[in-house]
Amino acid sequence: MSTRGAVYAGGVGFALWRRSLLELARVRGGLLPTTVAPLIFLLGSLGQFGRLDQLVGFPTTSYIAWLMPLSCLQAAGFAGGATGANLARDIEAGWFDRLLSSPAPRPLLILGPVMAAMTRCLIPVTVILIVGLLIGPGLTGGAFGLLMLYLAAVSFSVVASLWGITLALRARSQQVGPLIQNGVFVAVFLSTAYTPLPFLKGWLAVAAPYNPVTYVLQMGRQATVSGIEVSWAHTWPGLLALAGMILFFGLLALRQLRRVDL
Amino acid sequence: MSTFALERDLATQGRVITALAERALRVQLRRAQFLLPSFLLPLLLLAVIASGTSAAQQLPGFPSTGSYVGFVVSGTIMQGTLLAGLTAGIALAGDIEGGFFDRLLSAPVHRASIVLGRVLGTALIGIAQAVLFLTVAIVIGADFSGGAVGIALTILLAALSASAAAGLGATIALRTGSLSLMQNLFPFVFVLLFTAPAFFPRALLNPVLETISVVNPLSYVVEGMRAALFNSPALGSVWAGFAAGIGSVILTCCLAVWAMRSRVRA
Repeated sequence: MSTRGAVYAGGVGFALWRRSLLELARVRGGLLPTTVAPLIFLLGSLGQFGRLDQLVGFPTTSYIAWLMPLSCLQAAGFAGGATGANLARDIEAGWFDRLLSSPAPRPLLILGPVMAAMTRCLIPVTVILIVGLLIGPGLTGGAFGLLMLYLAAVSFSVVASLWGITLALRARSQQVGPLIQNGVFVAVFLSTAYTPLPFLKGWLAVAAPYNPVTYVLQMGRQATVSGIEVSWAHTWPGLLALAGMILFFGLLALRQLRRVDL
Repeated sequence: MSTFALERDLATQGRVITALAERALRVQLRRAQFLLPSFLLPLLLLAVIASGTSAAQQLPGFPSTGSYVGFVVSGTIMQGTLLAGLTAGIALAGDIEGGFFDRLLSAPVHRASIVLGRVLGTALIGIAQAVLFLTVAIVIGADFSGGAVGIALTILLAALSASAAAGLGATIALRTGSLSLMQNLFPFVFVLLFTAPAFFPRALLNPVLETISVVNPLSYVVEGMRAALFNSPALGSVWAGFAAGIGSVILTCCLAVWAMRSRVRA
């Protein structure tokens, strides 16, 4: 791509990113569900299952430390999924057809919303972290652990937004919204959401090791769980899982975008 | 009004309530966006909690009920009925925005019948949820020592819980008339759920939550379900469950009728 082409592409991507973010100012309480739902899950699960940290062999003595990265991922996933729901609304309103008929390169049409999801997820993730740190034991993994947690959350928002965009392009209806969010919910909870692998029983004990989110959670938990120390061994499986999911859902989204063109 | 006229009026309102309940049921069962949260989400959470937190049985003070899934399924039923109540509110808000509600108001029917139709439809969904969730629990290993009577009492409590949730959902829908606001209330359902001993015994809840759970009527309903399913007064009181359930239904239905009158006046 020439320099002029790159500048043009950057301009289009930036404009679509900015448009997606403007919704935050325009739609009252637009971020409320993506922030409040994971926060309620965090506090509710802590209240219900908080005594699980007393189990022999549990990797932390504070259950909120175990839950915080889960809620961060959930919030990032919901923020990413909202991108798909918003795209479905744009398709229904005819706005997306106008974009398709413009001379902008097609991949940029989804790059802007994906970038917006990455930005939007920072707000709920930070709110959850602040609440968690106020009532929890603090960051046991230090600055690097915190960096890993943010990296895990932001990258997961990309995965969720690509999943949402794929479904929105396929269904072309806002009714696909619950399916997008339920997909995120399933991906996050069919993992080591509540307890580590050795404590899982039955089918979940079999399924969780095959769920890439399990390793993304492990990567994020380096920040808060004292039993998961900051190390390359706890980082690379998460990075690999994220790269694999972004590649997979990215290809799906691009394939769906090409089909819309036809 | 003569006795004959009163009987005729009651019969008419009964038919109106039944017809509106049938419609509410059809609308909810026809649309995937209503079915997914009410039926699939609780089942998914049941599967995750039953497998993911079953190690809790090793905690001192956790009641011995044989199977962990049998203990937590009451919380799943509660979750399902709360979500059914919310979707009833969403459907009502949709009727308000779509104009169907105004047509109902211009028909010669009691205001209360409009609310009761919605509540009855949701109660039937609550029954369907309870039957489904209990069946799944039995299939994956739950053994209820309370037998058929315990299961029947639990299904009745589920119907009461769904009715109360529908009354609450209708109240909010009638007060706000906003579909988008109702859809954004989804997370708040979990406040009601998590402030009751839905998945853990009350004694093992976080102390703050344990205190809050005392004033949440759902605490008594969910404990009543457990007491019925396991025929064990140590897990709760069936009578307290019914008292809390019936009280909640009466309160929320009165609130919904009041909200409707306010709406009509406005």
